Amino acid sequence: MSGLLENTSTRAIGADIGRVDGPAKVTGTATYAFEHQLNAPAYLHPIQATVVRGRVREFDTRDAEAVPGVLTVLTHDNAARLADIGDAELAVLQSDEVAHRGQVIGAVLAETPEAARQAVRLVRVHYEERSHDVRFSAARTDLYTPGEAEDDEQGDLAGAMASAPVTVDHTYTTPMEHNNPMEPHSTIAVWEDAGLTLYESTQGVHSVRSTMAELFGLDPERVRVIAPHVGGGFGSKGPLHPPVVLAALAARLLPGRPVKLALTRQQMFDLVGYRSPTIQRVRLAAEPDGRLTGIGIDVTAQTARFKEFLEQAGKPTEVMYAAPNRRITHRLAALDVAPPTWMRAPGECPGMFGPEVAMDELAVACGVDPVELRVRNEPGTEPASGRPFSSRNLVACLREGARRFGWQDRDPEPRRRMEDGWLVGTGVAASTYPTGQMPGSVAAVRFEDGHYHVRIGAADIGTGAWTVLTQIAADALGVPVTAVRLRIGDSSLPSASLAGGSTGTVSWGSTIVAAAQAFRERHGTAPADGAEARAGLPDNPNRERYAMHAFGAQFAEVRVHADTGEVRVPRLLGVFAAGRIVNPRTARSQFIGGMTMGLSMALHEDSVVDPRFGCVVNHDLAEYHIAANADVVDLQAHWIDEADPYVNPLGAKGIGEIGIVGTAAAIVNAAYHATGVRVRELPMTLEHFLA
Amino acid sequence: MDFLSPSTWEEALAAKSAHPDAVPIMGGTDVMVELNFGRRRPPALLDLTRIPQLRDHGPDDGYLRLGAGVPYTTIIERLRDRSPALAQAARAVASPQIRNRGSVGGNLGGASPAGDAHPPLLAVDALVELASVRGVRRVAAREFYHGPRRTARRDDELISAVLLPEPAGPQSFSKIGTRNAMVIAVASFSLALDAQARTVGTGIGSAGPTPLRAIEAEKFLASEFDWDGAASPSPATVTRFGELVASAARPIDDVRGSAHYRRHALSVMARRAVSWAVTDYRKEIARCA
Amino acid sequence: MESDIILRVNGREWPLRVDTRTTLLDALRERLGVTSPKKGCDHGQCGACTVLLDGRRINGCLVLAVACDGSEVVTAEGLGTDGELHPVQQAFVDHDGFQCGYCTPGQVCSAVGMLEEVAAGWPSAAGRPVADTPVLDDAEIRERMSGNLCRCGAYANIVTAVRAAKEVSR
Repeated sequence: MSGLLENTSTRAIGADIGRVDGPAKVTGTATYAFEHQLNAPAYLHPIQATVVRGRVREFDTRDAEAVPGVLTVLTHDNAARLADIGDAELAVLQSDEVAHRGQVIGAVLAETPEAARQAVRLVRVHYEERSHDVRFSAARTDLYTPGEAEDDEQGDLAGAMASAPVTVDHTYTTPMEHNNPMEPHSTIAVWEDAGLTLYESTQGVHSVRSTMAELFGLDPERVRVIAPHVGGGFGSKGPLHPPVVLAALAARLLPGRPVKLALTRQQMFDLVGYRSPTIQRVRLAAEPDGRLTGIGIDVTAQTARFKEFLEQAGKPTEVMYAAPNRRITHRLAALDVAPPTWMRAPGECPGMFGPEVAMDELAVACGVDPVELRVRNEPGTEPASGRPFSSRNLVACLREGARRFGWQDRDPEPRRRMEDGWLVGTGVAASTYPTGQMPGSVAAVRFEDGHYHVRIGAADIGTGAWTVLTQIAADALGVPVTAVRLRIGDSSLPSASLAGGSTGTVSWGSTIVAAAQAFRERHGTAPADGAEARAGLPDNPNRERYAMHAFGAQFAEVRVHADTGEVRVPRLLGVFAAGRIVNPRTARSQFIGGMTMGLSMALHEDSVVDPRFGCVVNHDLAEYHIAANADVVDLQAHWIDEADPYVNPLGAKGIGEIGIVGTAAAIVNAAYHATGVRVRELPMTLEHFLA
Repeated sequence: MDFLSPSTWEEALAAKSAHPDAVPIMGGTDVMVELNFGRRRPPALLDLTRIPQLRDHGPDDGYLRLGAGVPYTTIIERLRDRSPALAQAARAVASPQIRNRGSVGGNLGGASPAGDAHPPLLAVDALVELASVRGVRRVAAREFYHGPRRTARRDDELISAVLLPEPAGPQSFSKIGTRNAMVIAVASFSLALDAQARTVGTGIGSAGPTPLRAIEAEKFLASEFDWDGAASPSPATVTRFGELVASAARPIDDVRGSAHYRRHALSVMARRAVSWAVTDYRKEIARCA
Repeated sequence: MESDIILRVNGREWPLRVDTRTTLLDALRERLGVTSPKKGCDHGQCGACTVLLDGRRINGCLVLAVACDGSEVVTAEGLGTDGELHPVQQAFVDHDGFQCGYCTPGQVCSAVGMLEEVAAGWPSAAGRPVADTPVLDDAEIRERMSGNLCRCGAYANIVTAVRAAKEVSR
């Protein structure tokens, strides 16, 4: 398994190469889903439920249909029947039931976007309304244990808590957050005799193809999905959501004509998922020197009543620290809400907030430096499974980060530094993310016109896939990057797994390595024009034997204004151990991007639900704040050299998500150091610091 | 939706008279948000971008006359000495792109209590000029805001200009938001001192159903301020001023902040504004001496 | 209601009949196929649609097309000359000032407009005293580029890119 690339001279992997799609992106000529120029498109605008729960009794569409340019009004009455594929979220317009506010209950198809939008406003809907319940709380009596996360207990945590000299037992919360990629979810659907073509903003063209084929009862070969450039996703463009199904249903009513649907920013808060809020009770039992004897996390998250999704926030507690007694539980509250979904580092991101703040509280309680506390609790093997780590360099990240950040001079006492009216403090937290691999990818290599054409249906959602896969292919073939012509983002290319779970580069890259080897084995180093080979992603038996994770350490400096409570983060520094870095330029962007989103989570992001109406009230970018340029000051990402012979032939670990893990905890811990005020809920706002 | 595009001011007034429900639009930064949200479906838009005098500014009988369509950028760039508090507020409006288009007239037309331009207009005792085919009248900004998004403007009137008195003392504007930029104020505050009349003006934003004044605070500071030497007011005086400003607010809890925090922030901003005013006042005395 | 207008986009004239409700952004994207300016929020809250309108950076989603009759619009696509990237664009590539690229044309137009504003001596909100002569340090760049949101979190690199572009343009 190991060292496949070490036999070749790795010229491209590790090189600081600018993005191959850079010129197209800085000029705006890279084509995103909604921008494909097709002849005579029609425009679709969804009709959304204005009740939380009930059923539609009647649509009155007369005024809407009278709007000039309106082609048709689509409802459950005239929508095609879809196959039941066991995903209630995708059963779009299959019944008159309303399961959450904002649900798609219809759509208007018109010649122009203005007409479609105006007509939607004129549709009158009569409902039979039922009582609803959207209140998220850990005190609910109807919480249940999801099937995919049975309680995980080792030893006796309660006993450890009862007998430990030092304990921490607090509840931490993270709010509902929305992915909000800058490119709204968009589709152009064209239904023709030959089949269905979708220009789709997606993290995986092949998963869209297979799901849509199944829903519409089509041979997958008759569905084509095209997505050469995707304007961010952060998870929400991973699984399918109702809009793409709606667009295809509409296109079916208008064969031959392209149907365009782009969600508004407001609709993005209703229809494409979000990160569940979490309530985390964290318990730590420790010796006076900070050595843990017990660690536990009890997570409560929410799901939709009609479709289960679990935010597995307890997962990182399986991985992080040694302790003989351990308890990890998950409970779900099923509410009349839209289903949650993946959002950057699902599980790990919220799940490293409570525990990493609790570790800071333990450090304070024991009088141990928080870096040292984490070093003291470093496990020899993965705590929950007992498997050895393929590589684990958390301690090296902590030490290197402490050195770069200037941690050694830190006075541990809180509320000691004041500069110009600002209280100043520093904090640290650890990061982790599993090194996964998704099965199912195939890559093809063909030599033609003096170039190696490498084809795989991968997606670049901003990660740099266009660039790093070109680099990997170049080294795997032993040729310069200029000899490689990569094609991705089209389901007519060989099948690729999703861009998700930080698995893209390693899964697709390992597949390309296999295809390149197959090519060289069959055609040698002087191939004939038209020579071709393909290969699938090989199994990696090491995956059974080893626990595979990336680790990191994040350090923050926070300033809190003594009078107003305003919070600033002048410095954020992360050090990561994530195997081999394929391209330092794009890798650095991945890390700083994750950290910036972590800063945004720490200070801003909060989807506020009005329990009376079941909707997010701050559903636009003026009220749902994400970090702006002025919020980010000195932000640095570094990494340590890490050779991992087991993870995959590249020796690389996924890096798209780890940057957001731990950031919020580091910032909250720094704010405690600045002010002496311990914040246990996100986002951390100026109100927390009012006396 | 009709689109009325007059090319002269007279045509614009006639159009507004004939279509009192037409919504005037110039930079678009307030009106378009409403339109794009679908919150508002006016029967007609009255495009004022072709009326050159709305972009004019210049002296007018002791006032600075600022056409209702003068973009914030122009205020920042060219009028900062003539309207210090408003220029500071202009710099805090939304984003640079919006400041290139948006104008005080638009802020007054929308009359959102969070609009950044309102507190300075209150503090400096500006006038709002309203015009219709019936004639022109000037209303004090302090009389202009009637309720949530309701103003003294009548349906057939257009806002033609604001008139800012010649600065006669220190002025400031400050704003607290939860993001470092491009942020709707959680609360904002403007202070203007008039050294000749020995009066104090205040304006409070985002902390009530309309922009507000803190009249008790104004009277208190006017009587306590050392108008001759600008001696530092006692901490008790500064604190009291802050309390009076906070107590004049009528805030609510919303997603941006709690009523409690808004009052607190106003008292902090008020205290800061006093200290800046003292510093600026002393500089002015030193320059005149 | 519809109106006939002429838009000049990246040096080319387009006679156009538009619905009076159509924004400049939608006219560019849906009518002219000029998709370099992006729609991210349609409310002037994200900056992805930033273009230069008669030389100034504005949000294309907050301007009605009908009000732009005769105006000159420059998008990121029209910034370069003779097939070469504009120095700001090259700096974004060199310093990886983007990831997914969706906010990027708006960021680039904003940076170009901003550098011209600074050259003209306009102060921003970064420093309190109004009369300050602006010095384009990193804090100023951050403040002046804050009308453009980037969800991928490329801000740190965007600031580096703009700083580098400023050096080149000197």
